[in-house]
Amino acid sequence: MAALWLCARHELLLAVRSRWLQWFAAVFAGLALLVASSGYILSGGHGLQDFARTAVSLVQLVLLIVPLAALVFGALTLSPDRGAAEILYAQPVPREVILAGRVFGLFLALGAAQLLGFGVAGLAVQWSAGPYGASQFLVVVALSLALTAVFVTVAAALASGEPGRRARTLGLALVVWFVAVILFDLAALGVASLLKSGAASRLLITAALVNPVDAGRTAAYLAIEGTAAFGGASLALLRFTGGGASAGAMIAASFLVWVAVPAWIAARRLGRADL
Amino acid sequence: MRGLALLAAGLLQAAASGAPGLPPPGPPEVESRGGQVSPLQALIDRASPGDRIVVSEGTYEGDLVIDRPIALVGTGRPLLLGSGAGSVVRVRAADVSIEGFDIDGRGGGDLGQDTSGIHIDAPRARVTDCHIRQTLFGIYLREADGAVVERSRINGLPGRPPGEIGSGIHVWNTKGFRLEDNLIIEVRDGLYIQSSPGGVVRGNTARDLRYGIHYMYSDDNLFEDNTFANGDAGAAIMYSRRITFRRNRFLHNRGFASAGLLFKECDDVVADDNLIADNARGIFIEGSYRNRFRRNIVAMSDMALVIYDSSGDNVFEGNAFVGNLTPLWLVGRRTDTRFTGNYWSDQDEPDLDGDGYADRPYRLSNVFDHLRGNMTAADLFAQGLAARALGAAERAFPVLDAVPVLDERPLVRMPALPEVPPLTPADRPAAARAGAAAWPAAMALGGAFVLLAGGRSPLTRRRRDVGRRV
Repeated sequence: MAALWLCARHELLLAVRSRWLQWFAAVFAGLALLVASSGYILSGGHGLQDFARTAVSLVQLVLLIVPLAALVFGALTLSPDRGAAEILYAQPVPREVILAGRVFGLFLALGAAQLLGFGVAGLAVQWSAGPYGASQFLVVVALSLALTAVFVTVAAALASGEPGRRARTLGLALVVWFVAVILFDLAALGVASLLKSGAASRLLITAALVNPVDAGRTAAYLAIEGTAAFGGASLALLRFTGGGASAGAMIAASFLVWVAVPAWIAARRLGRADL
Repeated sequence: MRGLALLAAGLLQAAASGAPGLPPPGPPEVESRGGQVSPLQALIDRASPGDRIVVSEGTYEGDLVIDRPIALVGTGRPLLLGSGAGSVVRVRAADVSIEGFDIDGRGGGDLGQDTSGIHIDAPRARVTDCHIRQTLFGIYLREADGAVVERSRINGLPGRPPGEIGSGIHVWNTKGFRLEDNLIIEVRDGLYIQSSPGGVVRGNTARDLRYGIHYMYSDDNLFEDNTFANGDAGAAIMYSRRITFRRNRFLHNRGFASAGLLFKECDDVVADDNLIADNARGIFIEGSYRNRFRRNIVAMSDMALVIYDSSGDNVFEGNAFVGNLTPLWLVGRRTDTRFTGNYWSDQDEPDLDGDGYADRPYRLSNVFDHLRGNMTAADLFAQGLAARALGAAERAFPVLDAVPVLDERPLVRMPALPEVPPLTPADRPAAARAGAAAWPAAMALGGAFVLLAGGRSPLTRRRRDVGRRV
């Protein structure tokens, strides 16, 4: 445990010192601020754009940027390189523990960068639009951290066992991001359009729970806007899952599976890798 | 034809509410009644036409029939507590006025008998500042030409299905009525107006009910400055012509098939300067012709517009469509609805010549909307990148030209619509009101600093050692 924590802090330290993470924190904060303030501007003084809608715009940003950042940073830092990794994994500590520590450290670093962005954006919204929507805000933060956890472990699964092939890992990570963010949805919609409406509906709802990006979006919108978020589709989803609580449980389970399975794969691949 | 329509409407309504559909209602309540008679009845029986009877504070149990033209005025809000067997106050003579009473119907009575707080079956009655509760109908105007109901409040029977309760203010076969500044809660329809032309409805609020205002076969009516919220429809206008309405607010009609505005076979309606926000469907139009919508805001709906191809010659001009999930669901294969000079918040064409209008028309429909028309669950993906990608792909390669519906001159900036009533903080749904955002924001910031500082804490030396070893 101590070794795991040590590795985590080591990774956190490296990340904090890294120019890349500093840039990510700055860019994320800037984008969050931009989204938050443009959400407010859109209200045009007619009071229509409340904080919930701003949070919704933040959800879009999070769904795009956070998986990308987690995958790219994960691919870059978790690929065991010749040299440092050789020494690190030569320590008398199980490889899985070192890996878990590094993944956790990277998660902490990315999480910190995002919290910084949310903090700045949240204060801006609070200052300009008034005190509406604490719970919505927390939903977006939670979504962001959950997606980070998922995609850092996915990156670990991609990166482990490919010593010295960082570029290939990075390429794979980008493909994974593209699939998760857009191709999966397109495929689901395409297949569903060929099915009868009942089967199509089941397929789409399952798809919305299985893909972590879709699951995150679905959970966030339902939590922020209630069943208004997707109109009739929300009700179809709730009927399919058997109510709000079990829908939440399913989405949480989806996230857990997406952390656990890639973590297991990463540990297995690393265990077999010839470092 | 009319009979057929009537039948159809009756079926429709019965299907919607389980209620018996359209009257013609039965004969007015039988005046001999099992219920208790109010002690005030003796005062009325002794009064001469034109008398003013002042009733002081207190509770008066029993029902009351007013059969001569008098003014009944309460001071200190006397309570008329009905027998529970029929209408509490029955007005059976012209030119009666009632002012300043609390009226309680004890939740009893018979829908078929139109049991009401105040049942009026005579012309030119005036009801002012009465608070009516626990009645099937609040105030019933039956052939009550020139009636006025103002500054009154009606609380219906909460928790009962719409089929088992009546309307807040029910107007039947009445010409030239006026309903002003009333508050109506938890009834079937807030203001139900049937076969009654020439009315004015102004400044009322009706919420937590089925329809806020409901016109049936009532031509030439005006309603303005009202708020209708939390129902199945803000306004349901059916089989009526030449209705004008402006500066109303239609809010939070969020049920599965709810709509801010519901039009069914109504023609020549003019809708100006209304706010239609946070509804499952903003405006629903079926079988209606030559209606004009100008300078309204339709916002935050799942579908801003639902238009059946049984409609024609409708015009949308200078409206603002803001933050709707989808602008239009067209039921059928065609529409001649004309859109011009509206603002669409998801319109992203530039305005290079700077004339305030986008350089290319705005398309109200795309492949994704077509998909979602066939599959409800597709809405789950409506806000994803895939939906946008589909829309963009279709614009670039328009091979799948479903039914093009265009706004030829979309505004690039949201127009200032000063006449549209604003959404006030009190209108926000309860969920959005909870708590301040500053706390989580500050917590997030604090957490970030703690974590980042964690990377540079006094323990650094130990970690440097690790770093060196690595």
